[in-house]
Amino acid sequence: MQQVCERIRDYILENYLFTNDTSALGLDDSLLEQGIVDSTGMLEIILFLEEELGVKVQDDEMIPENLDSVNRLARFVASRLKAA
Amino acid sequence: MPKTLVSAVRQVACRAPEAIALEWRAVRWTYRDLMDATDRVSGVLTAAGLEPCGRVALLLRNSPQYVAAYYGVMAAGAVAVPLNAQERAPVLARQIEHSGASVLIGDPAHPEWASLRGAVAERVAVVELTLCEDAGALDRLAADLAAARLAVAADVAPPAPADLAAIIYTSGTTGRPKGVMLSAENLLANAEAIASYLRLTPDDRGLCVLPFHFSYGNSVLNSHLLAGARLVLDDNLAYPHLTLRRIGEAGITGFAGVPSTFALLLGRCNLQEFDLRSLRYLTQAGGAMPLALIERLRSELPWAELFVMYGQTEATARITYLPPERLPDKAGSVGLPVPGVEIQIRSATGPVAAGEVGEVHVRGPNVMLGYWRDPEATAAALRDGWLATGDLGRLDDEGFLYLEGRLVDMIKVGAYRVSPLEVEEALATLPGVQEVAVVGIADPLLGQAVKAVIVPRPDAALDVRQVKAHCRAQLASYKVPKEVELVSELPRTASGKVQRFQLA
Repeated sequence: MQQVCERIRDYILENYLFTNDTSALGLDDSLLEQGIVDSTGMLEIILFLEEELGVKVQDDEMIPENLDSVNRLARFVASRLKAA
Repeated sequence: MPKTLVSAVRQVACRAPEAIALEWRAVRWTYRDLMDATDRVSGVLTAAGLEPCGRVALLLRNSPQYVAAYYGVMAAGAVAVPLNAQERAPVLARQIEHSGASVLIGDPAHPEWASLRGAVAERVAVVELTLCEDAGALDRLAADLAAARLAVAADVAPPAPADLAAIIYTSGTTGRPKGVMLSAENLLANAEAIASYLRLTPDDRGLCVLPFHFSYGNSVLNSHLLAGARLVLDDNLAYPHLTLRRIGEAGITGFAGVPSTFALLLGRCNLQEFDLRSLRYLTQAGGAMPLALIERLRSELPWAELFVMYGQTEATARITYLPPERLPDKAGSVGLPVPGVEIQIRSATGPVAAGEVGEVHVRGPNVMLGYWRDPEATAAALRDGWLATGDLGRLDDEGFLYLEGRLVDMIKVGAYRVSPLEVEEALATLPGVQEVAVVGIADPLLGQAVKAVIVPRPDAALDVRQVKAHCRAQLASYKVPKEVELVSELPRTASGKVQRFQLA
């Protein structure tokens, strides 16, 4: 879980905030409300989950509860990996 | 009193005060609620000393509170300046300063709020409007506005045109703020034309995911309220699945999008799994949509009429629409002028014959008053009563318009125009950059994305991440280069001009 969380955080830092300073992104920060990603950024994050972390995201799983912060993404990925 | 957009909506409210005007999260505002809130904002602004034609900047996401503030400012005889919530504080501060606004009404939850507030608070009365579902937000706004001293900005511009109602900042060819001045008549006439060709009625329920500061979103708002319809508000498409579900649950009859909206909806979701039978029509503007995507939409939603449209902020929003029944035989066309509007295609020497390509010129009640505090740019765009759009096009023998590109160098990211110069100017302030050229590159989802080609100073240790981070601090995220290339020199012509086509 810890490792997944760090990979997701690093991906967002690198691709949307362009930094490796981990203090720039709180693990519970809303990615959308904070203007960190927009609609297309959210789609790119889903592709990252699918292509890099091997988690297929179903239509009905694309909801803020699963995707809108690093911690939510990490919990979602962990639950999917556990179920697999 | 001449009829205005707000007075026309007020007539709608008098006829059906209990009809729902706006739906946002769990909030429902009737037309009576909307007019009460509008009058409240208008009354308190007037009482606080806002002068006629005073500017009020708005930094608010789509919400009923936005509409109350926007209509309230115009009802007070003042000028609304809706700001792009995606921009960063430095750009927003420049636009507020350029507008000469005496008030900024903004959402304190906006990520740039603290920086922006700090940057403008000395010259502008800053008032917060929290976008929440409880009804107290407007009470607090009214109290804060009543307490504010609305000093007239010291550098007030030349007198504003009498019926100036809104200034909308758009991407100019330079990095300088370019504020499109729209009159009360512009807003009313364009909304009436749109409501007429879409045949909007009080039975319609529109879903708006386009931001209201954007002329297309603004036109969706105004045309629905003018028709007495209900508008369901959102302001993004981050969760396409939820948007599609909402269409079924809320009985949405109309949905407006730009090409990337439809690409996002069709890209991830199987439309057949949703109940979308309530959709009567779809509208698409904001740049050319690939024909394959148009065909897919038509085959997946055969019962919904698809209106392909064309417009620009300088023409309030809408210039042409393609009647849906002509889509099969006029593929690639953006259609006919909306009611009351004329189009002419001109070369440097005058109007050209049907079939010939020239610059699209527009005349009608939708054409802007000019650019705020920029007589030179106004003179270049408005010539003998016609608006020169900067778009190239041709008319066929039935008068249908086909667009053929742009005269002016602009990158179109999604529905947004991005000036290469604005990005170049932002990059020029990064230490270590000796030269920079910015161009558009193809992007599968957004049509185009921004690419920066940089010649670093010999002693500089620039890296790509640093370049992007610098841009992100200053520019809206859609303007941040998706690709950055570091090179030793830029390709030039013999006369020294950068050959941009070689950089893409």
